[in-house]
Amino acid sequence: MIPQEVQAAVAEGAVVLDMRPPKPFTKEHVGGGVNIQFNRADLAERAEMSLPMDARYIVHAEPDPIAKVAVKILQDAGFTVLGHLEGGLKAWKAAGLPTAELPLIDVDHLKAKIDDYKVIDTRERFEFKYGHIPGSDVVEWTEPWEKFEAVDDSKPLALVCGDQVRSSYVASIMQRAGKNASLVFGGMVDWTERGYPLEKTKK
Amino acid sequence: MAEVQETKVLDARGLLCPMPVVKTNKEMKSMAAGEILKVLATDRGSIVDFPAWAEDTGNELIEWHEEGEGVMVFYLRKVEEED
Amino acid sequence: MIMKQFRYEPLAQASYLLACPRAKEAIVVDPIDNLGAEFYVLEAADLGLAITAVLETHVHADYISCARELAEMNGVPHYLNEKAKGLVQYEFTPFADGHVFEVGGVRIEAMHTPGHTPEHTSYLVTDTARSDDPWFVLTGDSLFVGDVGRPDLLIGDQALDVMGEEDRAATLYRSVTEKLFALPDFVEVYPNHYGGSTCGGVNMSGKAGSTIAFEKKFNLAMRQPTAEDFARFVKETSKPFPDDYQRIKSYNLGLISKEEVQGASA
Repeated sequence: MIPQEVQAAVAEGAVVLDMRPPKPFTKEHVGGGVNIQFNRADLAERAEMSLPMDARYIVHAEPDPIAKVAVKILQDAGFTVLGHLEGGLKAWKAAGLPTAELPLIDVDHLKAKIDDYKVIDTRERFEFKYGHIPGSDVVEWTEPWEKFEAVDDSKPLALVCGDQVRSSYVASIMQRAGKNASLVFGGMVDWTERGYPLEKTKK
Repeated sequence: MAEVQETKVLDARGLLCPMPVVKTNKEMKSMAAGEILKVLATDRGSIVDFPAWAEDTGNELIEWHEEGEGVMVFYLRKVEEED
Repeated sequence: MIMKQFRYEPLAQASYLLACPRAKEAIVVDPIDNLGAEFYVLEAADLGLAITAVLETHVHADYISCARELAEMNGVPHYLNEKAKGLVQYEFTPFADGHVFEVGGVRIEAMHTPGHTPEHTSYLVTDTARSDDPWFVLTGDSLFVGDVGRPDLLIGDQALDVMGEEDRAATLYRSVTEKLFALPDFVEVYPNHYGGSTCGGVNMSGKAGSTIAFEKKFNLAMRQPTAEDFARFVKETSKPFPDDYQRIKSYNLGLISKEEVQGASA
């Protein structure tokens, strides 16, 4: 699909899935795009665990051959995929269409400015129980999008997971809904390796 | 360090968070108490995922280490399930 | 670092993906069209890696290269030794002998090792996360496991061949003895061909990896006492020419089109 066609579909409610890794996604992505990283091994399973089945999707992946493979994987898994963005971000920008940036911070920054953020942990409940950042709340990455969109962002949100793949997914959905959300690169692995404080959930 | 002899190997390299743990959970269900599963993973999140999973399921994370090429190896022992 | 060797068995060809898992960047060396540019792109994407460059050890004669397509698909440079200028008819990014490529913590040093072809370059790889010592060298078609590259794949155009067979043999002998064998013994050797490939002689091992020390000791061609003995040995132990090599080389030089090279080959 050419950029203008993608834009038209988005105006009618289609969702762009940006399948690049989190780092390039945060730098610049198709405005309103949702980040779900590509691979062949388990894309279908991760999509089935998290993406709403009833939405209409358009794939953005680079280069183009990846997008074609991704479209097929998702369609085979039962998702409605209208097509892919031909020419990627370059073509999108050349067409004068809007892009967005997702703020990216690291654990050192988060630790230093912890009082400025509300930390949202997007891992499974049992992972959160085992050890989480003091004061953080868990909102599992497999929850319906409405749940992400309902999170209170009166304080800027900082999203974490094990590293940054699941949190980037949730952060992008929150950004779509107009929330003030930042992605914490390195997540709980970096936080733990630095020896920063962890809290366990009492039974 | 004592050599750990695994009963089975699960190759979870290339799988993204949280699939290594999801697959491990499934694999463990069909294993007997005392058996050891060796899991290979490249997803960095596994470093915190596996200890958490072990505590949650009552299984034992014997040890883990990084081999070359960004591959992590986890040794997990199935513990007797309490009914 | 991540080092993946892809083997295309029908042509006994090995290509490589070298990457830094922290920087999430990768380069591909000697990609083969029989696997196709998409193959490499998917392999990199599976690991969340961005391909930042495509390198070739030389302009190949025994297989169709997809380096141009792969580089273009990713919007990254296609690198060949600057000695390929004037030989290759399309745009590429030249580098000089000694040039260092960096892929995150992976350091790749270009070593001009002519002989099999005039522009032939080996790549010495160091994983700086591991040590400052080099780990392995991608020897292309200069040094094989148990054998060496053949000096007689000429297309019959002096301007494009540059060196004749005798000259190539003598140059190859020097490239291996003075440059590759000057590397530390522990450096591993990973070639572009192995086993039944017709790019080398009958002694080529089916194993696609070795070390400098092992080759110094057991490589029969390199154990010849003089350059003249070497040249004679290589000629006596050579295999039949690779299928269609002149046409394939012409395509890889940019002289003919894809349709023309694919048209007649079986």
